[in-house]
Amino acid sequence: MKQIWTTEGRRALLSSWILLALAILAGAGIVAGSHFYLAKEKRDSAGAARRVQEARARLDGARRERDSLHESADVFRTLVERGLLQGERRLDMVELVNQLRTRHQLFALDYDIAPQRVLDLSGGRVFNSVDVLASRVKLRARALHEGDVFAFMAALSHTPQGFYPVDRCVLRRVEAPTDSLQPHVEADCTLEWITLREKRSG
Amino acid sequence: MSQHFIFLTNTRLVSLETRHGRIEARREFAVSGTGVAEFERYLAHMPPKPVHMFTDLAEEDFRLDTIPHVGKGDREAILNRKLTQIFRNTPFRFALVQGREPEGRRDDRVMYTAITNPEVLRAWTEVLDRLKVPLAGIHSAAVFSGVLLEELDLAFAHTLLVTLSPGGAMRQTYFRDGEFKFSRLTPMDLEEGQTLGSMIAEETTRTWQYLDSLRHFAEDDRLEVCVLVHRNDREAVQPALRDFAQIQYRILDIEQVSAKLGLKHPPLGSTAEEVFVHLFLVRRIENHFASAEMRRYDTLRSARLVLNRLAVGAVAASLAWGAWNVSRVFDSSDGDLLLAQQLSGVNREYEDITRSLPSFGVGGATMRDAVAFYNYAIRGFPAITDFAVSLSKVLRDHPGVRLTQISWQATDDAKAAPALSPAPLQAGAPVRAMPKAAAPGGANPASSGSVAALSSGKYEVAHVEATIRVPSNDFRAAIEQVERLAADISRTDGLQAEVIESPLDVSSSTELQGRLGTKEQGQMETRFVLRIVRERRASA
Repeated sequence: MKQIWTTEGRRALLSSWILLALAILAGAGIVAGSHFYLAKEKRDSAGAARRVQEARARLDGARRERDSLHESADVFRTLVERGLLQGERRLDMVELVNQLRTRHQLFALDYDIAPQRVLDLSGGRVFNSVDVLASRVKLRARALHEGDVFAFMAALSHTPQGFYPVDRCVLRRVEAPTDSLQPHVEADCTLEWITLREKRSG
Repeated sequence: MSQHFIFLTNTRLVSLETRHGRIEARREFAVSGTGVAEFERYLAHMPPKPVHMFTDLAEEDFRLDTIPHVGKGDREAILNRKLTQIFRNTPFRFALVQGREPEGRRDDRVMYTAITNPEVLRAWTEVLDRLKVPLAGIHSAAVFSGVLLEELDLAFAHTLLVTLSPGGAMRQTYFRDGEFKFSRLTPMDLEEGQTLGSMIAEETTRTWQYLDSLRHFAEDDRLEVCVLVHRNDREAVQPALRDFAQIQYRILDIEQVSAKLGLKHPPLGSTAEEVFVHLFLVRRIENHFASAEMRRYDTLRSARLVLNRLAVGAVAASLAWGAWNVSRVFDSSDGDLLLAQQLSGVNREYEDITRSLPSFGVGGATMRDAVAFYNYAIRGFPAITDFAVSLSKVLRDHPGVRLTQISWQATDDAKAAPALSPAPLQAGAPVRAMPKAAAPGGANPASSGSVAALSSGKYEVAHVEATIRVPSNDFRAAIEQVERLAADISRTDGLQAEVIESPLDVSSSTELQGRLGTKEQGQMETRFVLRIVRERRASA
């Protein structure tokens, strides 16, 4: 073996040593290149898998929203038609009250509409996408018969322009001769004129 | 793999080229004259391949010895010293350790051999060196011939192997219990009338006598003489070989021997060189005579071969590794393709769903919240008209009852107390209980509600003020009728009624006034107050 390390031996084996070195370098290059290529592919695969997972999550959310919205679409359509998402139209309200008063033959009708405010709901419940706005309306009416008052209230509640839940009402008999055309009933009622507003548009 | 074998005798040099275990070319050169030059020219045109040289020379000397059994390093030193002492004038020397003595110190048995005249080899080795031919080894044909006996299963206590060499010589090699002991080369110069067989018989008898003189044989020992000859020479040999008590002859037909050794093309003559070459291909032995310096080209060739194989191995291994990685990349790519298809499908379905979603110009969340608010706060909110209708149904069965005031409230508090306006004192009843300081109801009925939170309207609470007409002073009947009215209300549409102000409060804590005159009316009206509560049932 000593001959390998002599000058003659080194010279004779130089090409083989160079070939071996090149082979090792080439081999290392092949291994490293393929390794990096594989690692990149793995990263790409992991990214693709993550994107699929995210897309599936988004799809599940869309499915849930679709199911949820289909259930509530009809109701929402009614709400939109009743102007729940429109702002208050106080002139319409004034005209409506006058119209109903005439229709139900109330002797007198006094009303106060308070400034609109954000309505607090019982239990502190809030909605993320809408603000609930309300104007408190106080009505004081005199009528010949309590049925006229009830009819007026029912008509107001069922008007196709907004929602008017009546939460308080006091009806009193007014002493008067039964055969005279004088008010026999007096009513004091309070209701909320409710509208909704999208928060993003606010 | 190609190899080159040179079989050198005192008169001839036989060149044999092998490829894949078969002899493919044979050429003979004379040792004297122009033989060396012809050999050099021949060798110069041969592709470089490792060369093994067999020597079958008369100048080969053999000595037997014993040395102390020591470690490897010491043994090497002893053997080198001995070889230098015994064969001082030649570099072609070799020591073979064959076994140990059975008795005494159990020394190692050693056989020394050398080509005592190096000049017979030098011309040839110089040619090899000049042409840089890789000399793998120089082997003694006599020593190597023991392998032939082993391969042919010729295991005797005393064996004399007789082989013929190219150029007309006969080699006799004696083995005792398989160990090499002695070898002798005799030129075959047949005298007139002498046959090959008679010469072999004479020479082997002479060898037996020599060995016997060296006390190799006991009285009953017999020398088995194995003669390797071709079938063509058998007739000339066999008749002359007569067995007797001390010698027994065995003819080894060279064709049969070749067949047994797997040599497909048996030699055409009785010389043994082709058999030895084939045997060497089957059972390689170590170098005997060539020094490291003589073998340097073979050493470099082997090193080059190792380096080249390492290079090829490195590239092959890395290619295999790379191919494995690439195959995994392909697998991964297949998976990526599948994922891409899945992603495309999922996105398509998502877009379909998004397109199919109902839209009213607002976001889905707004829609959901609006509907949720409606369901929570509006849809089930109670209405006073419904309450009044339920109450009217009951009052139809109580014509003596006359309502004077209703204070109704939608609330989340079942204990809420809607305010009533204070009732004017009536003159109808001769006896009445005076109202307490904080009677139910206040001065500000409907407007008393705060503007705080909108209730969910879980409860409807109403205070109902009314009068009942009964015969004068019949308070007991009035109380009974009012209690019956409350009971009737409690059986209607989920209403629960209780009397909170009786027609006549007869409790001891209340002031009671009576004004009885001489003229009394036939009927009287008494006031009472009911508290009515209705809890909203959970919607289906």
